[in-house]
Amino acid sequence: MGRLRRSRTHKAQRDVHRASRTRARTKDLDQIQLIDLLPTNRAALEAQPLDEEKPGLGQHYCVECARYFESDVALKVHWRGKLHKRRCKKLEEPAYTIEEAERAAGLGRDTRKARAVETPMEMAT
Amino acid sequence: MRIEKCYFCSTSVYPGHGSAFVRNDAKVFRFCSSKCNKNFKMKRNPRKVRWTKAFRKAAGKEMTIDSTFEFEKRRNVPVRYDRELMAQTLKAMRRVGEIRQRRERAFFKNRMAVAKEKTLSAKRRKLAARKARDAQIATDMEATETTEEVSTELVQPIAEKESIRIKRKVLVPATRKRSALVKGEGKSMGMDLD
Repeated sequence: MGRLRRSRTHKAQRDVHRASRTRARTKDLDQIQLIDLLPTNRAALEAQPLDEEKPGLGQHYCVECARYFESDVALKVHWRGKLHKRRCKKLEEPAYTIEEAERAAGLGRDTRKARAVETPMEMAT
Repeated sequence: MRIEKCYFCSTSVYPGHGSAFVRNDAKVFRFCSSKCNKNFKMKRNPRKVRWTKAFRKAAGKEMTIDSTFEFEKRRNVPVRYDRELMAQTLKAMRRVGEIRQRRERAFFKNRMAVAKEKTLSAKRRKLAARKARDAQIATDMEATETTEEVSTELVQPIAEKESIRIKRKVLVPATRKRSALVKGEGKSMGMDLD
């Protein structure tokens, strides 16, 4: 007889499709690594003004995981936890970006700005 | 006409094909297929998914550093159309393509040669280890044979006894099924009432 029970019932993966909707989209790793983790941005995110629509009035924010917490205790427990540590490990390596996708396809980028100014002048003369 | 590259697998996306996702910081992610789009939604890292170009390049399966990659570039400088220049460019593209193909084949052959050498050496090592083990066992056997005399008589097989199964009725004391829902049954969480 075949399998009667649906596989993958564990691991608390309740509804992948719901979680992957655009409206439920969370911050991407490259956004966090290249923007949020800069010292000035980080300071701003950690000291947010009171916002009653966010969990814990937006006062307890984990920058690495892009997540709000209800209290300082909860935030500190989160920092000790597995999810946070795993996330930090992921953020250590350089994030994947559109540029890298293009480079892998063999499409580079010409970053020489000076030449961009020169060529129209040549055209004109 | 602009041929885009897929964000996930880095294949070319031609006009009218694939889909795009615009993130709230105005970055445009192009996808060649729904497969790539779904993988993106699952937040997978293309560098760790084996069928993507990014993986193959990052893992050293394909050529990454080569002068033939220096031609195809996104140049944000407009060039006035020139028939001569266009013809020359097309010619050059064909030539560069040929050269790259040859270099890629050489790269692949080199990679395979290294891999083959690796597997062969591993096999050889394994074989040597097995031979050494066998030799060790043989010497041990010889040592035991010299001390003990082995009888050369053949051992006659013993005829198997025929076993007959007899069914017999046995009285089993009936036990009531205990329920966890009823208090004092011994299975409930509460204190025992006995």
